[in-house]
Amino acid sequence: MPEPEAAPALLEVAGLHAWYGESHVLHGMDFTVEEGEVVTLLGRNGAGKTTTLRAITGGVRWTGDIRFGGRSLRRMSTEDVVRGGIAHVPEGRGILTELTVDENLKLGSHLRRDGAEVKKDYDRVFEYFPVLKERRRLSASTLSGGEQQMLALARALLMKPRLMLLDEPSLGLAPIVVRAIFEIIKTINQTDHVAVLLVEQNARLALEISTQAYVLEVGRIAIRGASAELKGNESVRRSYLGY
Amino acid sequence: MQGLLQQIISGVATGGIFASLALALVLIYNAMGLVNFAQGEMAMLATFVAFTLIDHGMSYWIAFPVALVIAFAGGIAIQRIVIRPVERAPILTMVIVTLGLATLVNGLAGFIFGYVPRSFPSPFSVQTVDILGAFVSYRDLGVIAVSTVVLLAIYLLLQRTTVGLTLRAAAHHPEASRLLGVRVSWMLALGWGLASAVGAVSGIMAAPILLLEPNMMQTIIIYAFAAAVLGGIESPLGAVVGGVIVGVTVNLAGTYLPFVGGDLQLAVALAIIVGVLILKPNGLFGRPSVRRV
Repeated sequence: MPEPEAAPALLEVAGLHAWYGESHVLHGMDFTVEEGEVVTLLGRNGAGKTTTLRAITGGVRWTGDIRFGGRSLRRMSTEDVVRGGIAHVPEGRGILTELTVDENLKLGSHLRRDGAEVKKDYDRVFEYFPVLKERRRLSASTLSGGEQQMLALARALLMKPRLMLLDEPSLGLAPIVVRAIFEIIKTINQTDHVAVLLVEQNARLALEISTQAYVLEVGRIAIRGASAELKGNESVRRSYLGY
Repeated sequence: MQGLLQQIISGVATGGIFASLALALVLIYNAMGLVNFAQGEMAMLATFVAFTLIDHGMSYWIAFPVALVIAFAGGIAIQRIVIRPVERAPILTMVIVTLGLATLVNGLAGFIFGYVPRSFPSPFSVQTVDILGAFVSYRDLGVIAVSTVVLLAIYLLLQRTTVGLTLRAAAHHPEASRLLGVRVSWMLALGWGLASAVGAVSGIMAAPILLLEPNMMQTIIIYAFAAAVLGGIESPLGAVVGGVIVGVTVNLAGTYLPFVGGDLQLAVALAIIVGVLILKPNGLFGRPSVRRV
């Protein structure tokens, strides 16, 4: 239980129920993400990880309480939640394949009015992902899976969020690419102080870069704890994380 | 030879009229995956608005942009009031709604303005100028110029501005766009506004040639369908190229094929629609469609 005097967390989720169409997927979730922290949600397919992220940005019907920066996200449209400072890289990465790489990036920064800062952020993004600079003018559909994931991360960074929701950034990528992507996620978190809520199948990697972890089982939180602790716990590893 | 050149230039002018309406169809098709069957009627109503303004003493070149602005606002209003409530309805429902809208607008125009054809002023004279031996009317040149300017403006808006970018994003990937903070619903409304304005250009250009009455656009919309299908129904550039090709083809067929003459020109447009759908369903500029289901 958080102490009543404690400053509110960046993201506070309490008693969250959510529905995917007619099916009741989340059955009362409670968790928090602190400012600048990396939190990971683990669990098997269908445990409700993706639905949790989608509830936060208003993509599914939900009840309960979700607060971001102390403000309730109840009845807010996806657009408004995002404009409030949450970047959501969805399942499948949400790349607009009809558009060029540059246009995808521009959609990330199109709401910002701090022109000079935006320019600096572009420079930094191209430093992280030089390949995107080379392919700026190409259609995003020509990128490989790894490059599309880079584009999605770069675009999310250009939104200058306080919180990033990342849905399985490792999905379908070669191990070496996954390593690189996770390095960048760590860098983004540390240099930009962006908090990250990470959904991952690759539990080992996720526990490595996160501070807190929650293991989901059919729409409920089965285990919670510090990532380092969960990583070391033999029985948790075997029964829930499967490695 | 001069005769041929003359017919081609005249066909390009007609094509500009088709292209504007075809572009309107494409803009809405991209926004909601559906052809707006009321597009021609909306253009006709906007033309009546321009007519009324000119009739009350406004100069043509002021009435023209004012009518476009009114058409733009009207397009947005129609999307908000009529289309948005059925946004998530099955496609057939939406088809019926746009057909109903067409009937409604047509009846409304008839009720307010009557069915007597009226002559609509043109700022361009029908006198001809000699271009390489072909006699081309100033009116044709004027229509070509106006269409070019309008189509170019739409192109620049879509390709070179942030609003255009978010508009394209919202049309192609609504869900992903929402997650980037794009107000998708308003972008779709904006698409309707733009389409309505571009369609109005077509109506205002056509009115001096056809005479203004509530059924004026009913053949033009068929040519515009042919143009949009030929160009690839999702491609704005295709709509423009398709419009010009249809305009020239119909004009040449009417002139040089005795059995077509003036009466069967519409049949040529229908033949183009059927031919394209059979031989090259994606049109000249369309991508093979991979539909998300």
